[in-house]
Amino acid sequence: MEEDKTNSENPLKVNRRHFFSQLSVGIGSLALGSLLIPDLFKGGPKPLASQPLGIPHFAPKAKRVIYLFQSGAPSQLESFDYKPTLTKRMGEDLPESIRNGQRLTGMTAGQDKFPLMPSAAKFAQHGKSGAWVSEFFPHIAKIADEICIVRSMHTEAINHDPAITFFQTGSQQSGRPSMGSWMSYGLGSENQNLPSFVVLTSRGKGNSQGLYSKLWSSGFLDSKHQGVLLRSGKDPVLYLNDPDGISRSDKRHLLDHVSSLNKIHHVETGDDEIESRIAQYEMAYRMQMSVPDVMDIKKEPESIIKLYGEDSQVPGTYAANCLQARRLAENGVRFIQLYHQGWDQHGNLPNEMAGQAKDVDQASAALILDLKQRGMLEDTLVIWGGEFGRTNYCQGNFDPKNYGRDHHPRAFSIWMAGGGIKPGITYGETDEFGYNIVKNPVHINDFHATIMNNLGLDHEQLIYKYQGRRFRLTDVAGNVVKDILT
Amino acid sequence: MAQKNSTPWVDYVIFGLTVFLVFCLIFESFIDLPSLVAWLGRWHPLILHFPIVLLLMAAVIGLLNQIVPKLLLTIATLSALVTAITGFFLGTESVPKGDLIFWHQWMGAGVAFLAVVWYWLSTNHLQQTYLVKGIQVVLILLVGLTGHYGGMITHGEDFLALPRSKKLEKIPEDPLIYEHIVYRVLDNNCIGCHNPNKKKGELLMTNINELLQGGESGPALVLGDPGNSELIRRLHLPMEDEEHMPPDGKKPLTEDEIQILERWIALGASDTLKLSHLDNSEPLAGMVKKMMDSGTENSWAKLPKVADSTLQNLASDYVTIKRIASNSQALSISVFLPPEYDPKNITDLKRIANNIVELDLSGIPLGEKEMELVALCKNLEWLEVDRTPITDMEFAKIIGLENLRVLKAYETGISDESVAVLKDFKGLKSLYVWETQISDQGLSELREALPSLHLDYGIDPELKTEFIEKDTIVDSIQ
Repeated sequence: MEEDKTNSENPLKVNRRHFFSQLSVGIGSLALGSLLIPDLFKGGPKPLASQPLGIPHFAPKAKRVIYLFQSGAPSQLESFDYKPTLTKRMGEDLPESIRNGQRLTGMTAGQDKFPLMPSAAKFAQHGKSGAWVSEFFPHIAKIADEICIVRSMHTEAINHDPAITFFQTGSQQSGRPSMGSWMSYGLGSENQNLPSFVVLTSRGKGNSQGLYSKLWSSGFLDSKHQGVLLRSGKDPVLYLNDPDGISRSDKRHLLDHVSSLNKIHHVETGDDEIESRIAQYEMAYRMQMSVPDVMDIKKEPESIIKLYGEDSQVPGTYAANCLQARRLAENGVRFIQLYHQGWDQHGNLPNEMAGQAKDVDQASAALILDLKQRGMLEDTLVIWGGEFGRTNYCQGNFDPKNYGRDHHPRAFSIWMAGGGIKPGITYGETDEFGYNIVKNPVHINDFHATIMNNLGLDHEQLIYKYQGRRFRLTDVAGNVVKDILT
Repeated sequence: MAQKNSTPWVDYVIFGLTVFLVFCLIFESFIDLPSLVAWLGRWHPLILHFPIVLLLMAAVIGLLNQIVPKLLLTIATLSALVTAITGFFLGTESVPKGDLIFWHQWMGAGVAFLAVVWYWLSTNHLQQTYLVKGIQVVLILLVGLTGHYGGMITHGEDFLALPRSKKLEKIPEDPLIYEHIVYRVLDNNCIGCHNPNKKKGELLMTNINELLQGGESGPALVLGDPGNSELIRRLHLPMEDEEHMPPDGKKPLTEDEIQILERWIALGASDTLKLSHLDNSEPLAGMVKKMMDSGTENSWAKLPKVADSTLQNLASDYVTIKRIASNSQALSISVFLPPEYDPKNITDLKRIANNIVELDLSGIPLGEKEMELVALCKNLEWLEVDRTPITDMEFAKIIGLENLRVLKAYETGISDESVAVLKDFKGLKSLYVWETQISDQGLSELREALPSLHLDYGIDPELKTEFIEKDTIVDSIQ
């Protein structure tokens, strides 16, 4: 009582015992509160993004992507970026004020002159939108009102491998997951019986550059997100068919036993890759049924075959792959990546490029029309483009009939269609030499951010932590190009 | 003042609850409540009435220079603390916290803390100081404000607003840019102060002439020149600027809203301009469409809740069920053909029929039973029944799906008989019906009934012929 009295006389006179008794209540309250925080003392990794995986962050405009990659870098100056100035000033040296110290590849750095070279292909405006398309692409010209041409793409890479790796993985150094893997990781699979990321390759007669499986690798993501390369010919997926004498039920028994062994192993080691492997065996089992059905283009009617061109009946051609891409898209594959090699025209550009264009022009345009009539352009994003552009000056001998162009990262053109992209517009502008961008530049990071946006993903939220660092497809950059969205 | 509380445990409880509340507020972002504790939060709306009444009573008694009964103050303080804590629990249910909850939370916590300070002062015989008087005044104000914000959370922000004559209607299919879009933006953000009753800065904003006439700073807009329009200039000023509009404390316009105004002025600020007049490359068209789309997303907010476990039970290797977006109850379902097909795969979806917004049944051998299920999906917006054997008989089942936006029915057996069903889909925007039995006459009937419909009857035959002709690339180069 004595204690209480002193205390009540002067509120500031708190004695030690009183202090501790009050303190214990305080600490007790803190402890009670801390019970509400689950991982307070565990120190384990916190969830990186609060968004659940396998579901878009917001309502998507597109459910899948068909990426028609033109490997080797088609020239923008003979396709979609019309530059009459080059004709007027043909043969003149590229002004230093325009080049402005841009580094060149070893292939032309030694040239003492950089004579401007106009396009060998004539240009005309097409469709209601009046888009400029060269005569190399007569079919794409006919669908000009369905596509959005971006003439202001730019990249940092100047050689094929880093440039294509940049486009596919968001980094010039290899090792990061491919775009398709990121989408598979972020959106999950639409059809459990097919991989969510599929790759188809074809090759033209033009000068080509290598393609490596690292371009569709899942990097540090779970290997189930890796791109599956479908081959042309009898076996789209190698070793998918059962060997002679093995029935489907035998296979089932085999898988069940292997799976139980794998599960034991998983319990021992805790390695998550084992679980992915079990899942992949199951997927392969289901793919035995689904793949032959999807890949069988014999079911396509004559009119469709004609639309894509006669080539579409020849397995392994770009046209056949385009048709295949549509069938895969119909069957719920999220990301269909085509590569067409042969666009690296350092010399003999007019002839080689015409040949390349012939390979892809009709089929690319047919794909757009075919998707459109199926209502799939409403939720499928199609992209057409290479890894960089080509120089406005001539590489090698100056001959307007037979010239070459070197690599040019500062400005190039691609086009996109469907899946929430505005049709019938041309976005961005280059200067009169077609060398620098003067309006609305789109960096590869922006390109990635935009694609992710249309798929319902916030590119800043899809994060994977690996070896202590947080990774995104757009890494630390990227802005959604809102002007080209519907 | 012999009111000294002889039971110190009450002091301890108050002290403990205070510390707990501070702790909760500080570590808010880390806290993840067990469901039982979260449930306690549900009592907040009940308990909160006690501190309102008791604290107001105590404060008024104090301000009237009467002695505040100790018991009253004790119970008031305790109830304020409990209310604040349960309120905090309840608040964790809504992530992210809106402005309203944010202010309500901090003012509510403020009430509790003030009550504790008052309690502490009075325990220590400091009843009649000016400090206590001050606390009482602030408490009365704060209790009122907190209560008001709380009321706005439960009843909506305009619950206490005076009745308004003009109700915002749904944006029509082909809106007038001024009337349905620009006016809506102005009405939401500006007209509250620039109307005949208030007329801030002598500016009225209720019609275009008033905007052109302007106020103290001259005309609010210059036709065709957003850069020189006072309205736009002020929207773009930094927030701290005196002249920034809307003024301090009011919600600034979103980037899209500003751009809508800008583009509308740039295009001449017309009141007859319609969405359909705009070119596809015009950014305004995109923004208007986005505004209209956000309406559809809102309609999903009313869908019934569906648990992840339900979705997992109904999904299989051949039935993929996805939420359209995280936190959304709207579902997108794709069905693929299994080796042995059983209609049950689809009819089982009955349980979640109301949540299905997108349904892809392409290439499935559909029959009557499945179409009956489709008919149950009242919120369906996107339906794919292409490449199926359905005929008019099955198709008739789905009459009256009024939310349907996209319908793919190509390569099916439907014929002119189904035109009546199709005509009834008032919200339909895209229809794909090539390779069906529908005749040209049926199509034109349909076009008449639904003028804004995008009707796809396959690739234009002329284009197709041109397309298939001999390739011109190689000729051109020689």
